[in-house]
Amino acid sequence: MSARPLQVAEPEPWSREPGPAAGGPAPAAEGAAPLCLRALRKRWRKDLPLVLDDLDLTLEPGTTTWVGGRNGVGKTTMLRVAAGLIEPDSGSAEVWGIAARENRVRYQQLVSFLPAGDRGLYARLTVTRQLEFWARIAMVPRERFHETVQRAISTFDLQELADRRVDRMSMGQRQRLRIAMTFLPDPEVVLLDEPLTSLDTEGTVLIQAAVAEVLARDGAVLWCSPSGEHLDMSFDARWMLERGRLVAA
Amino acid sequence: MNDGLTAGHAFLAVMRRDLRIYLSYRTRLVSQVLTALFSLTLFFYVSRLVHVSGFASHGSYFGFVVVGISLIGVLYSSFSIPELVRQELIAGTFDRLLLSPFGAIRSVIAMSLFPMMFSFALATLTLGLGYLIFGLQLHWATVPLAIPVMLLVLLAFLPFGILFASLTVVVKQGSVGTNWVIALLSIVGGLYFPVSLLPGWVQTTAKLQPFTAATDLLRHLLVNSSLGQSPQTSLLKLVGFAVVLLPASIYVLSRAISFGQRRGTIIEY
Repeated sequence: MSARPLQVAEPEPWSREPGPAAGGPAPAAEGAAPLCLRALRKRWRKDLPLVLDDLDLTLEPGTTTWVGGRNGVGKTTMLRVAAGLIEPDSGSAEVWGIAARENRVRYQQLVSFLPAGDRGLYARLTVTRQLEFWARIAMVPRERFHETVQRAISTFDLQELADRRVDRMSMGQRQRLRIAMTFLPDPEVVLLDEPLTSLDTEGTVLIQAAVAEVLARDGAVLWCSPSGEHLDMSFDARWMLERGRLVAA
Repeated sequence: MNDGLTAGHAFLAVMRRDLRIYLSYRTRLVSQVLTALFSLTLFFYVSRLVHVSGFASHGSYFGFVVVGISLIGVLYSSFSIPELVRQELIAGTFDRLLLSPFGAIRSVIAMSLFPMMFSFALATLTLGLGYLIFGLQLHWATVPLAIPVMLLVLLAFLPFGILFASLTVVVKQGSVGTNWVIALLSIVGGLYFPVSLLPGWVQTTAKLQPFTAATDLLRHLLVNSSLGQSPQTSLLKLVGFAVVLLPASIYVLSRAISFGQRRGTIIEY
């Protein structure tokens, strides 16, 4: 473990309230952690080795965790399982004690995932329309809808791009929009897969501020990137994924 | 109540998104209107050649076929859902829908709203152009009844789109099977000619799916053609298909998504 580098700013009044998608304080089961991965096993094909081999990981409230590892080692698979996108062969993923199978809607209200790459956007929609659409399917309540979208635009400095279509934006601008979408519903757990791809320094500062907001409400952030990248940033915990298991970095 | 309202907004948001994307391609609407116009022109002149018992005049066959080509647009719209799902898979937006509280299943159903409503509008436009330009004789007394029947037809057709969308989630191909199914249904559904012209065993097939009942009923309401079966029977058939197949198709879709999540293929495209 190392000292937390992300300065937690005094939260704005809205950030003290439960997330609009969460609809109430996040903690559920007593003693539950923001994210708990237990004995995860995943194998893509019978003739291939396990990608995740009894992998355990617990994120404590208000912490950031970094997981590194060489390309193809299984970081994205781990994040996809944690996000509820794919199911493990065995083991469990719980967010505040809730498994996706038990309560999918609640699980998805609490967790938000930024996949690697530049996909997941509608090329013909403007930034504002994209965020509005995402806020709707994130089921942000009507009374907070406009405020939430405007906050995402201002937090990620997207004002100048608000009316620009995605297919007319640079890769870095798209990445900033993708990050804005990830943080928009005020998730309790944020899963970031190579979030700094194509981002400039300003974008990096913005994402750090957004992470600090999550920590301020006792959420947790899991940040994955290849080994050797962003080692100048510190996290509360650092792990390397090797042969399907996490080892201290 | 509040959740229901929020979900309702999400449904509308998907529809608005699709409308915006549609309108962002400026020539698409013009192209579709021209296609409707040229189809009408084609069948107007084809109807001059038709001498089939059961059609009192050239105009009555024209009315018959105009309702058919209006309905085939509705058929295409319900079968467009698999392709829409495929586009979402390719763009990586399906993942986002799946990971949203709104969820993939509701999203796929919501995705069908715009194409179906648009096909309804295009069918209305086709009938309007037929009336204004080619003298299509509409039976105005029963035309308003065609609106609720058309909505019922959309509900009866929707499960077929959802079933093929489920297949797309599994096999990753959008048009797998849909083109030949549409062609087959346009024959056995009597879209271009009466099913009475078909061999006896094919006529039996025609009675086993909702398309024949839909064309039969809508033709009666719009152009006062004779009915192949009682309107109650046609209505019951449409309601039956909607009530039985809609939940069944949604269940199949949920199983297809679960299968993809279990196998990890949900992320493939």
